[in-house]
Amino acid sequence: MTTDFVALEGKSRGYRFLIAVLAVLAVAGFVSFIISYIQGHQVFGSNNVIPWGMPIVLTIYLIGLSAGSLILSSLTYVFGREEYRPIARMAVFLAIVLIFGAMLSIALDLGRPEKFWRLFMFFYMNNMSSMFAINGILYGGYFIISLVYLGIIFAGSHRASRITGIIAAGWAILVHLGTGAIFGIIAAREAWFSPVKPVEFLAAALTSGAALLIVAVTLILVLSGREVKKKMVSSLGRLLMYFIVILLVLIIVDKLIHLYSAHREATLYMLTGQYSWIFWCFQIGLGVVIPLAILLNPRINKVIGWVVTAAVSVVIGVFFERYYLVIPGAAYPMQYYPGKIEGVWGATGSFPLTPVEMVLSVGIIAFLIFIFIMGLKYLELLPPGEPAKEAVKEGKEEAEQADNTAETSEGQQGNDER
Amino acid sequence: MARWGMVIDLDKCTGCQSCSVACKAENNVPYGSPEEYEKRQTPFWHKLIAVSNGEYPTVKIDLIPMPCMHCDDAPCVTVCPAKATYHREDGIVIQDFRRCLGCKYCIVACPYGVRSFNYKEPDEEEYHRPDPPPERADRGIWPFPHRVHGVVEKCTFCFHRIDEALKEGKKVGEEVVPACAEACPAHAIYFGDLDDPDSQVSRLLASRQWMRLREEMGTSPKVFYLTK
Repeated sequence: MTTDFVALEGKSRGYRFLIAVLAVLAVAGFVSFIISYIQGHQVFGSNNVIPWGMPIVLTIYLIGLSAGSLILSSLTYVFGREEYRPIARMAVFLAIVLIFGAMLSIALDLGRPEKFWRLFMFFYMNNMSSMFAINGILYGGYFIISLVYLGIIFAGSHRASRITGIIAAGWAILVHLGTGAIFGIIAAREAWFSPVKPVEFLAAALTSGAALLIVAVTLILVLSGREVKKKMVSSLGRLLMYFIVILLVLIIVDKLIHLYSAHREATLYMLTGQYSWIFWCFQIGLGVVIPLAILLNPRINKVIGWVVTAAVSVVIGVFFERYYLVIPGAAYPMQYYPGKIEGVWGATGSFPLTPVEMVLSVGIIAFLIFIFIMGLKYLELLPPGEPAKEAVKEGKEEAEQADNTAETSEGQQGNDER
Repeated sequence: MARWGMVIDLDKCTGCQSCSVACKAENNVPYGSPEEYEKRQTPFWHKLIAVSNGEYPTVKIDLIPMPCMHCDDAPCVTVCPAKATYHREDGIVIQDFRRCLGCKYCIVACPYGVRSFNYKEPDEEEYHRPDPPPERADRGIWPFPHRVHGVVEKCTFCFHRIDEALKEGKKVGEEVVPACAEACPAHAIYFGDLDDPDSQVSRLLASRQWMRLREEMGTSPKVFYLTK
């Protein structure tokens, strides 16, 4: 309870360089949005078979990260786990930035983004049986509740932050169940239609949220020259391991439900078809197998470097889980009539990754990192560190740009510490 | 109130695709280029699919014209967040371009793939037709004066023809039918009131064996197919 929080000084060359790079990327993303708005969605890879593209992948991914991160912050403020207190403020702020990014990327993916307000005319102009309208309430409310939560944490009231923490974490669970229901209730798409989908989404959210929190926190603490507590990281790693096991069980249950039901062609296509390598290499390999191998190994699951490696692997793996669900998951042609449909209507959908869409997605992510590190500078989010360590931040821009290299160097650091 | 429905006689259908062409002409749906067709970004309000069953010597091809099914329990109406797609009183599922946000949730939810997104700004000559050609001058002003990219479009059962006919007291289903039914050279497409037991569609459905597409989805479509 004695922990004070400070703001990042943000005067080093590395910090300014990073801000500049992120700002350029964000502007590039904005320009590509303007292009897509003027020219229409023909500049995207989406089509009438795979209607949703990268921005929607990004949306559900960011919502997952956000909800997971917020739920983890409640460990401190609701359950009183003091070892997570140094990172709890960062977790809440991260959650706010990420849900903002999710809503932003939905808005930029709309065909007519200027009509975005129509999603928030609850009960008046909205059809409340639509999952999108329900999620409008959930996301908007979540954004407001998290802002209030952060404000109360800053005000320092113990009891109030506990109560808001309970509300915020519960609401975050609802947010993610709702996001899963977007896909789970679509009867027309056999690969999506499943009652397990909301719960699977929640598990994926907790997994990726915990993983991103580990990565972000370690990166920020190391780069700003603060001490990373080994106990905190290894216990977060253990938490991550439980989440991955739950996620794995739910993935298996989901696939089994589909394989036993009468309409299994789409799921078979997802498991063995053209793009199934994404499922096996990224979703299962990077998302489940590698992190579990690291986190279940008692010799290395307490080493910061290895835990961070596992977390990076999960962050990438869960991203590809979302990608695989939204894009190849919609690709299998629908059986309008029994038999083999000839021509373009029966062909499997394809999704070219177009430059405009990629720049837009990268721009959104860059904008979010931009907001996040600006927040670190202007809000008191970081635990206090020893002064005169600012020099370490010289390496920050390299670290942010090439996550993997940063992780390996950090892994070495971790080994040295050991 | 009438409940409009369509009956397509697969026994008569030759698969000439006149219905699809007539639909494009009537509703000013852009023709699209071969590249757009390959990318599947071309809008189709009416399409014709060919379904094969079996291998070469014993193969059977079914040609199925597919307009919007105008389902009674339409998944697109359930999922639209902005009430942009809704049931009219006569059962037609209509798309309001002014309300549509372009979230594409309805395209995802439609089990028949009849909804199309408008991927590019309409070309002037394709879309804006302030004065109808002479042979259509009796139908008045075009029902979609302003169409933009970024919204979802679909078949309307040619509601502008129906509304006009009802105003003028003509008989819908005999004198006035949707463009696809009018264009069919084999007279395989019938249109009429499903609630009226004396209408041609009701009589056909009572006398012939019929089926609907993807009944297992529970959408109760209002487009019926008379089997071969």
